[in-house]
Amino acid sequence: MHHVPAYILLFVILSLTQIFLLNNLIAGSFLCPLIYVAFLVLLRLDTQPIVMLACGLAMGVLMDITMGVAGINTIASLLIAFLRPSIIRLVSPHEELREDGVPSPERMGSALFWSYLVVMVVLHHTVFFTLEALSWGHILRTLLRIVLSSGATILLVWLTGRLFTAKISARA
Amino acid sequence: MRRLVEFIRSIYVVVLFVLLELAAVSYYARATAYTEARLLARTNSMVGGLNKVVTDIGNFFRLGRENRALTSRIAILEEELARYREADAEGSLKVELRALGESKFRMTEAVVVSNTVGRAHNYITINRGGGDGVTNGMGLVTPDGAIAGYTVDYTEHYAVAVSILNPVFRGSGTPEGTNYQGAIRWDGKNPHFVILEGLSKYADPQPGQKILSTGFESYFPAGFLIGTVESAMLDEVGTTYTVRVRLAADLSAMDNLIVIENLDQQEVSELQQSEVIKNLEMN
Repeated sequence: MHHVPAYILLFVILSLTQIFLLNNLIAGSFLCPLIYVAFLVLLRLDTQPIVMLACGLAMGVLMDITMGVAGINTIASLLIAFLRPSIIRLVSPHEELREDGVPSPERMGSALFWSYLVVMVVLHHTVFFTLEALSWGHILRTLLRIVLSSGATILLVWLTGRLFTAKISARA
Repeated sequence: MRRLVEFIRSIYVVVLFVLLELAAVSYYARATAYTEARLLARTNSMVGGLNKVVTDIGNFFRLGRENRALTSRIAILEEELARYREADAEGSLKVELRALGESKFRMTEAVVVSNTVGRAHNYITINRGGGDGVTNGMGLVTPDGAIAGYTVDYTEHYAVAVSILNPVFRGSGTPEGTNYQGAIRWDGKNPHFVILEGLSKYADPQPGQKILSTGFESYFPAGFLIGTVESAMLDEVGTTYTVRVRLAADLSAMDNLIVIENLDQQEVSELQQSEVIKNLEMN
């Protein structure tokens, strides 16, 4: 339970960064990084599925309201929040790796952590940008947006993870 | 019954996920571009204040550039004004010039609070709302007179406009010096280009030719700049041109906008919905 304040802080910082910085950042129409996904990626490995779902819902709804998009963030966030335990099981076959703690390259191993991160972000962005485009007409364009934005988000999430875990271990 | 409860308990996360996801999807499916605009307008009362601080800081650093743009604009307007004064002195009895004096359009300036160009539906939020006399259906143009969007919803202090980079934007344009017109539409691809459709084959648009507003939509007076012709293509049947128009307004770098209020708009729409017209439609 003593991790809760750190996660509340993470939630607040990530949503403020998304709302006031990234949503106003205009770096071409292909690059729309969604850093808030980091919150769902960095939740502790032993988080209850029901708590995961609640976190996905809270973040998704907040992002929908502030971005003015109707439901897309919620749909994508709920999906990765729900599938996260399965994704972890998929990428890390060893039982002991997913027992506890914040997901990080040190805990899970570099290869496992990166595949977990990439699957989470790409899944989220695929759902988000496909629903936003609303048609298969611009499929190449949508694909390019998914790839470039996912790349940017993955880097941002990794950076957030570094800072977040550094803070936790400094405190402990 | 108890086994059913047990079963549901064992899969309640899945059930909850499906229910929440269904709710989100059904909201998304029923949403229109206007729902999104309304959502944004409401949220702005909430985050608008903080957003404004961020925008203000940004604006402070852009003041120099902004000033230069304004000064050059003033110069052009002064020049135009001088021309009118001259004409007024010459022919003070001319009816057209008297009408100029009582323009039916009123302009207000506004600051852009938030604006997107990278999304599939783009909106502009400005710091003027119902309290400042801004209502729905008012045109937004940049200080150099290029069309940017028109308002669709407002609260007390803010208004949200559909940007010209939004598939729901409705407008029409005409190549300068002709009477032909076509519909303006954004194809969602590049934030610097829009499409002018259904232009008559006789219009013969040339690259670099200016595309101006027609004044038919009542959001914008006629003669405001939309952009310049980049390329034109005749359709297979050879009856209409589809023109790629390079936007005059740089939508990704807007700080200040001018809001255009059409004082006759209510009168026109009341007239269009009058009993006589309705009766005509019924018969």
